Amino acid sequence: MIGYVLRRLAVAVIVVIGIAIFTFLLLHWLQPSPVYAVLGPKAQPAAVAVWNRQHGYDRSELAQMISYLGKLAHLNFGYSYKLDQSVGALFNENAGRSAYLTGAALVLSLIVAMPLGIWQAVKRNSVGDYAATTLNFVLYSMPSFFLGLILIQIFALDLNIFPPTVSDSITTAGQAFTHPLQLTLPILTLAGINIASFSRYMRSSALDNLAQDYIRLARAKGLSERAVLFRHLLRNACLPMITLTGLSIPTLLAGNLLIEVLFNFPGLGLLFYNALGNSDYNILLAYTVLGGVLTVLGNLAADVAVTVADPRVRLA
Amino acid sequence: MTPALQVRDLTTEIELTRSLVHAVGNVDLSIEAGETVGLVGESGSGKSMLALSVLGLLPGGGRIVDGSVCLDGRELVGLSEPEMRKIRGDAVAMIFQDSQSSLNPTKTIGEQVAEPVRLHRGASKATANNRALEVLELVGMPRPKERLDDFPHQLSGGLRQRVMIAIALACEPRVLLADEPTTALDVTIQAQILALLDDLRSRLGMATLLVTHDMGVVAGRTKRINVMYAGRIVETAPTAELFSAMRHPYTQALLGSIPRLDSDRSKALASVPGIPPDLTDPPPGCRFAARCPRATGQCREHEPPLTGDDRGHLFACWHPVDGPITRPPELTVGETITESFLQDTRPSDGDHGAHLLEVTGAVREYPVTAGAILQRRVASVKAVSDISLHLDTGETLGLVGESGCGKTTLGKLIVGIEKPDAGRIALEGREVFKLRGGRLRRARRDLQMMFQDPYASLDPRMRVAAILREPLAIQGIGSRREQEARVVHLLEEVGLPRNALERYPHEFSGGQRQRIGLARTLMLEPRVIVADEPVSALDVSIRSQVLNLMKRLQAEREMASVVISHDLAVVKYLADRIGVMYLGKLVELGSGDDIYLRPTHPYTDALIKTIPLPDPAAERAKTGPGIRGQLPSPVHPPSGCRFRTRCPRARDVCGEQEPPLRTFGPGHLAACHFPLRPAQSAKDARP
Amino acid sequence: MPDSTRPLADIQPGLAGTVSVPPTAPEGGDVHVTASGWKLALREFLDNRLAVVGFAVIVFFVLFCFVGPLVYHTNQSLTNPLITDLHPGGAHPLGTDENGFDELGRIMKGGQTALEIGFFSAFIATVVGTLYGAISGLAGGIVDGIMMRILDVFLSIPLLFIVLVLATKYHSTVLDESAIIGAYTWLIPARLVRGEVLTLRVRDFVSAARVMGSGRGRLVYRHLIPNALSVVIVNITFQVADAIIILAFLGFLGFGLQYPATSWGDMLGNAQQYVSSGYWWLVYPVGGCLVAVVLAANLIGDALRDALDVRIRRR
Repeated sequence: MIGYVLRRLAVAVIVVIGIAIFTFLLLHWLQPSPVYAVLGPKAQPAAVAVWNRQHGYDRSELAQMISYLGKLAHLNFGYSYKLDQSVGALFNENAGRSAYLTGAALVLSLIVAMPLGIWQAVKRNSVGDYAATTLNFVLYSMPSFFLGLILIQIFALDLNIFPPTVSDSITTAGQAFTHPLQLTLPILTLAGINIASFSRYMRSSALDNLAQDYIRLARAKGLSERAVLFRHLLRNACLPMITLTGLSIPTLLAGNLLIEVLFNFPGLGLLFYNALGNSDYNILLAYTVLGGVLTVLGNLAADVAVTVADPRVRLA
Repeated sequence: MTPALQVRDLTTEIELTRSLVHAVGNVDLSIEAGETVGLVGESGSGKSMLALSVLGLLPGGGRIVDGSVCLDGRELVGLSEPEMRKIRGDAVAMIFQDSQSSLNPTKTIGEQVAEPVRLHRGASKATANNRALEVLELVGMPRPKERLDDFPHQLSGGLRQRVMIAIALACEPRVLLADEPTTALDVTIQAQILALLDDLRSRLGMATLLVTHDMGVVAGRTKRINVMYAGRIVETAPTAELFSAMRHPYTQALLGSIPRLDSDRSKALASVPGIPPDLTDPPPGCRFAARCPRATGQCREHEPPLTGDDRGHLFACWHPVDGPITRPPELTVGETITESFLQDTRPSDGDHGAHLLEVTGAVREYPVTAGAILQRRVASVKAVSDISLHLDTGETLGLVGESGCGKTTLGKLIVGIEKPDAGRIALEGREVFKLRGGRLRRARRDLQMMFQDPYASLDPRMRVAAILREPLAIQGIGSRREQEARVVHLLEEVGLPRNALERYPHEFSGGQRQRIGLARTLMLEPRVIVADEPVSALDVSIRSQVLNLMKRLQAEREMASVVISHDLAVVKYLADRIGVMYLGKLVELGSGDDIYLRPTHPYTDALIKTIPLPDPAAERAKTGPGIRGQLPSPVHPPSGCRFRTRCPRARDVCGEQEPPLRTFGPGHLAACHFPLRPAQSAKDARP
Repeated sequence: MPDSTRPLADIQPGLAGTVSVPPTAPEGGDVHVTASGWKLALREFLDNRLAVVGFAVIVFFVLFCFVGPLVYHTNQSLTNPLITDLHPGGAHPLGTDENGFDELGRIMKGGQTALEIGFFSAFIATVVGTLYGAISGLAGGIVDGIMMRILDVFLSIPLLFIVLVLATKYHSTVLDESAIIGAYTWLIPARLVRGEVLTLRVRDFVSAARVMGSGRGRLVYRHLIPNALSVVIVNITFQVADAIIILAFLGFLGFGLQYPATSWGDMLGNAQQYVSSGYWWLVYPVGGCLVAVVLAANLIGDALRDALDVRIRRR
């Protein structure tokens, strides 16, 4: 088991290095140096050259890349010239809020989607199943920010229950937790989109398992439908959800970005969005690599979780 | 005495989106406590639906329309669901065919066996576990205590089937429904499981319904047999009488169509033409009428009732037959085809002095790899280990063995789908697969293959015309017009109507697809055909059609062929010589009679003894379950003789030294240190 | 493709050496003429009423966006400060936007580009992905290993980030947007096709063709591609749906087409302001159109997948 995790970690490191190289090259190609973002678009060529030499942007691309990878290895994500702070410090400041928003949404969507999917599979082709399927389809086909807008219209503007944007006074995850009203709409929006795709998946996984012979054998033993469901179906139907959750990290990060922008909630997503507008090179690079690391770790965690949960994949 | 299970006039229907399947109609059946009753039918005959109806476990849309099911005199039809649940798994238990998918993959064996005990007996966890241990011991699970915490995937197929039986027996049921309990198993394991079921029935006094398609399985183990066809029971009789004095033409044809070890190879098998009716729209009269040689207008219009004498021999037929087919039909063979369609393409049959096909020391091992990127080779599956054999023009060689013995891999080596890791495969002395480019393509004409799965071997996106024309198109033989003419010709040869040309494979039944496959194989007039399990995916009545066809074409064309099957009777019927394989090794090679009448290797002997015969007397005479134990892993085969772990004659030398093939008669070879009969000469011989 | 044979009824089997007389009734039993595979799939598809509705919705919007402007003439090039942000009614059934453009006409115009980008990026993604997947699956061995690791790297990057980074430079034309969306979505067909090719490669009918002496090219063109095609076709519908959603993201984050060109995504870009100022007609009609088209494409895709599954089950 430990050997397996170590081997997988080694592969993950290789993938992360690949991500870093790719992202570096791409950004470098789009913008070889952040100099114009710092000195302004009309900076004199001489000043540009001096700045580039001072900050190492006059070196060959290969040299720059190697030094970048070296810094990454020491968890040094570079420096934001625009915000005049190290990217690492910026991440530190924002990560908690984003993690709270995304984590709460993920937990909420799993709590809703798993029972919903199973219920739909058991009651397949009933009115309830059709209604849930239709709603899922609509949610699934909706850009997340549009769902957010509709929720804002209804719950913030019309009914005035929740604020339409997150108040500036919420600066830490702890505060967000103690003022639940503030983040209700963002979490609901992000969860809503995930519930749609998770429960669709859960439904089809449960249907697949319901068609299996072992369910028939369980019934032939004389178990009640309820017992068949809880003792036999549940665990097997939920197994694929572990992998799906692990794979959903890129989607969650994208959703997080849009929702933070929509509700003006300062987190990593909003930081990235502002960096896009400012061409804040190092933030873009670092957050993309960070996203890659999270994705790889998510997959790895899911694979390890599956080996624990599914006796068939206990490893050599 | 009230029968343990009595089914009267049962009718079951299944409603699908577009149609209504009349799965079971007006069926009567009864089983006394302590007796086994057989229910025999082909796929789709409704036999499984009948069993499921008893338990009230029909699939979605299914319901019992009419009739009664009584358990010890108690009516089950119309019972409420909670009451039915008290009966399921307690008084009535069921065993399914596929133990792989029938066991919950994420629960331990112990939990699954203990579950019905806890449910029906209200036993505590500890008590239920003790009972589980007890039943696992009862069903002959080796070291049951260690197995309790195993998961299903850690067991072999045979052991999983024992677990399923243990689950069924956990609450000591009055009635056991066994739905194809041995179909997914190898013949040696099948014999073990059947013996176990029989033993348990007599010890526990259960009423057992044995549902199967295999006449051999029911012959020795049942008191009475019901034959089902298209949702109806067409004949029911005490076992011996059914085999010796059947009255229904379907039963007669069914038994006549099974190749037996003692069948006359020169005669054809009785065959039932056509395919069973569509149960969504069954014919008004006798359901067998369309395929019956005795059918009259009466049969087509009026359904015959189930009648008969007072000894319980009932049949549903207007024009019953009297006992089995006494004279098997003659094999109608046309003149030998001498002229070739591909006249110009043959290399001259000069004096090469070699056999037509010669396999020498063939080895094929599949690597077992580990690691995500580097794919280190950690071990290898020894599929074919140092096999030598040869084949001459016009000869048919059979290869038999259990699954995993390497027979299919050997077949693939011969036609070049797989490449040997060592050894040579030569056609007329030439190693054809060492050729390249156009010469290889041309050489491939002579070695063609017929595949096992009629569903997978035809491209679903091509019409039959294109499928059959493809070999000629690839080889660039003939003009388009000539190719098409040959397609039409061969389609007729294999007995398919001409309108088949424009159809796609999915529109054909399994048997028809195998005919198409055969026609495609013949298209290039190969010198050697390899037929891999050509009939194992087919129903019994269709199987004999294809076997007869293969037999006729073999005789007319003087092709050499290699027939691969797990079924010794099929191989013996088609082949002149038979090779018996075990775990990648050829253990015995000889004529059909050598193998059947003078088996020399203990494995061959045991294999013959375990094959269920459609003959009650022969089956009853058998003692013991044949070969003990499981097939060892082909990754780490036993040292020395690979059969020694299951061999009753094994001694120390068998583990130390690999036995060479020795001669026991003209062309009769076997590899054993302690053969069942003395060798002809002390000298080792190569085939 | 399968259908390459003309009717054979008129051809006589006049060959030397044929002996056996064809039996009067075919020994193998008659062939029941049932629907062809595609017809079966079509029937299954039509049975799914939701999918038919989805198809109708797509047809409606294609007509609405491309034919609509020929019937309903509006000024979509010159701003008119006199009629900005008008409520729906009168000459403007859906009101006007902040530039004084008629909103209904603008939805038609934005729909054109949205549909174009949807289909075009799906096309790019499918072509690139299919080629990549097919090459990887066919090559096997080390090439496959390397190509799959590269794909793993791509799949591990939250590609929306990359798309956004790219969009900072390239977002002003339909071609740009299609290309960067395609760059985001080609991974899915690549994986699908590779998986399909790998399973097809070991199927018996492919082995059969090899035994007949078929070369690699013929295997690919006659067997692998036709059989892998259905998976690709089904996937295209999902690609269109995904592309339009991503287009909406781009618009929302401010990476829209060059003004005055617009797409539904761009039109939703300012929706947040409109919602807070109460200009509901600038949000919900266009949002509804976008969701309807994406929903329709997803429904069609689901139904197609199920229909093809049926065909696979019966074959």
